[in-house]
Amino acid sequence: MSMMSYLFRRLLTMVPVVLGVLTLTFILSRMMPGDPVLAYLPAGKPDPVLYRYWVHELWLDRPIIVQYFKYIGDLFSGNWGKSVSIAKGQDVWELIMLRLPRTIDIAIFSMIIAAYFGTKTGVISASHRNKPRDTILRGMALVGVSIPVFYLGVLLQYLFGYILAWFPATGYKTMDYGDPAFVTGFRMIDALISGELYIVTDYLYHLILPVFCLSFITLAGITRQSRSSMLEVLEQDYIRTARAKGCAEKDVIHIHAQKNSLIPTITVIGLNFAGLLSGAALTETTFGLKGIGKLLIDAIRQTDYWVLNGLVFVITIIFVLINLVIDILYAVLDPRIKY
Amino acid sequence: MEQTYELEEKFKIEEKENTFGSILSWIWRNLKFLVVPGSRLEELTTRQVEYEKLVSKRKMISRFKSILTITGIVIIFIVITFAVFAPWVSPYNFDLANGVLAGAWSPPNALHPLGTGKFGRDVLARMIYGARSSLTVALPAITFSVIFGVIFGVIAAYYGGWIDAIIMRVTDILLAFPGLILAAVFISILGQRIENIMIAYAILGVPYYARLIRGNVLQARSLPYVEAARVAGAGNWRIMFRHILPNCIQPIIISFTFDIGGVILSLAGLAFLGFNDPTLIEWGNDLAGGRLFLNTAPWASLWPGFMILVTVLGFMLLGDGLRDALDPRLKNL
Repeated sequence: MSMMSYLFRRLLTMVPVVLGVLTLTFILSRMMPGDPVLAYLPAGKPDPVLYRYWVHELWLDRPIIVQYFKYIGDLFSGNWGKSVSIAKGQDVWELIMLRLPRTIDIAIFSMIIAAYFGTKTGVISASHRNKPRDTILRGMALVGVSIPVFYLGVLLQYLFGYILAWFPATGYKTMDYGDPAFVTGFRMIDALISGELYIVTDYLYHLILPVFCLSFITLAGITRQSRSSMLEVLEQDYIRTARAKGCAEKDVIHIHAQKNSLIPTITVIGLNFAGLLSGAALTETTFGLKGIGKLLIDAIRQTDYWVLNGLVFVITIIFVLINLVIDILYAVLDPRIKY
Repeated sequence: MEQTYELEEKFKIEEKENTFGSILSWIWRNLKFLVVPGSRLEELTTRQVEYEKLVSKRKMISRFKSILTITGIVIIFIVITFAVFAPWVSPYNFDLANGVLAGAWSPPNALHPLGTGKFGRDVLARMIYGARSSLTVALPAITFSVIFGVIFGVIAAYYGGWIDAIIMRVTDILLAFPGLILAAVFISILGQRIENIMIAYAILGVPYYARLIRGNVLQARSLPYVEAARVAGAGNWRIMFRHILPNCIQPIIISFTFDIGGVILSLAGLAFLGFNDPTLIEWGNDLAGGRLFLNTAPWASLWPGFMILVTVLGFMLLGDGLRDALDPRLKNL
């Protein structure tokens, strides 16, 4: 019960942040050039009568405060408007919901690989401090933190896509394969449900390079933080006591030290998630995947008002959920934190 | 009118050079310590203090002497040379590097050591000139964010209460956006010029530094020296900026160095997506432009990207070296 009240209190502190983000987006997207009404008009020269009708329909002639409240209400009720320039006239909800699962796929795969291997690598690096293993891992982590996502992507495309031709360079499916029947929107799950395993293997085969690219960079950051916090933990008195009592070195690390080093690392994992989204935008542009990262960049480029608002809302909700998960993890890992 | 008298030569009293007396006084001065206890103590203490200062400076410098940090410093030095002395270092000047020439996408040859890219522009010249825009945006923007972030963070943490709550909510809101996206939105609103890019990054960096220094100031606020300063009559601003701030500045310095690398990466990302100043030479832009011809002319994309990697690597190495050098745990090593 106290866990629920803890979650509830955390949600309450998130509410002003979400409202602030939505307000900021409202202000910024109103300042962007471009006309939001054009999405509702048919192609060609806009008819003045129709234009005025739609301006009235969309409440664009009311005072700005009233428009602000309609904006918030619309977002939460699912009425996200129609796209102006990216896919003219298409419902924004459909557009986003079609592409969101692909970005979630990449993001989840990258995050799981990066978090798991990153913490492990950091622990190994810290426990063999200044030995060759540590030096190599630190060097790779340093390169991973300094390399731009798109450069790594282009390098992988050139090396593995063109010279060695082991993996496909762009896209998330081969041209002739169709889409599985729509159940959840996630391509892998739908293909598993409908039994078309060739789609699953093809999808994974196409995702190897982008996921490697994104996860390498996230892994580098997590490794650095994990190593640093593990070094701090290894200097504590209780580790010295465990060694003095005759504990084997691997037990000292795995049983006593490892869990205590996780808390700052999880903070970094959570922080990296916001960066993961912008990294996903760059990765999707490099590898030609149709996810919401690329959609966001296109929306900003072509100043598509409705798509931008809907996307920012989705991103904010995801961000809030991730923060909640991180807070739950804190409470689970550190028994000193009381709900 | 008074008459000034001056002694004539023959009446001036001469001091005979008393060698024996000067020898005696020298002996007494230097051997006084044998007879009078505590006569050279002051001298010794001042000399010891000077020696300690010298030794600790040497220790600090020796901690910087790791080979990686020196590599980082050398890389940064090279990049800054490229940026400042670009017209003299690069084989072609800016107009030739930005013009429309013959021989696009040609492989490395004698005229163009690294090949050419779009419109026949030399890759090496563009690599060198690209350092200018990256450094010009990164350094002022981060300086601005550090100054204002520190001010806001110290004020928020010192006063606490509703000021703290408001400033922290604003930083939360700004930090909830992915940085690249917010920068792209700012640039599309303000227009694609280099001043607007600088403003966008300056504003985006402020909440990060505010949060960073807020943690330290919160811890330092309850320490005895703050109370002592207040008892001695110091006002709030004086305590904040003359007493607390210098003790909390260390993570800011380290973060500053890492952040320069981060902003250069972010800038390259924006340029890759096309949100840069089109009249300037940017590494990310070259990388994006060369992608279409990746299979036939890989040098056009791979070399600019390599330059981004090396530049950011240099700043990261320096940041790592600084962090290790300033680590309080290593003070006695």
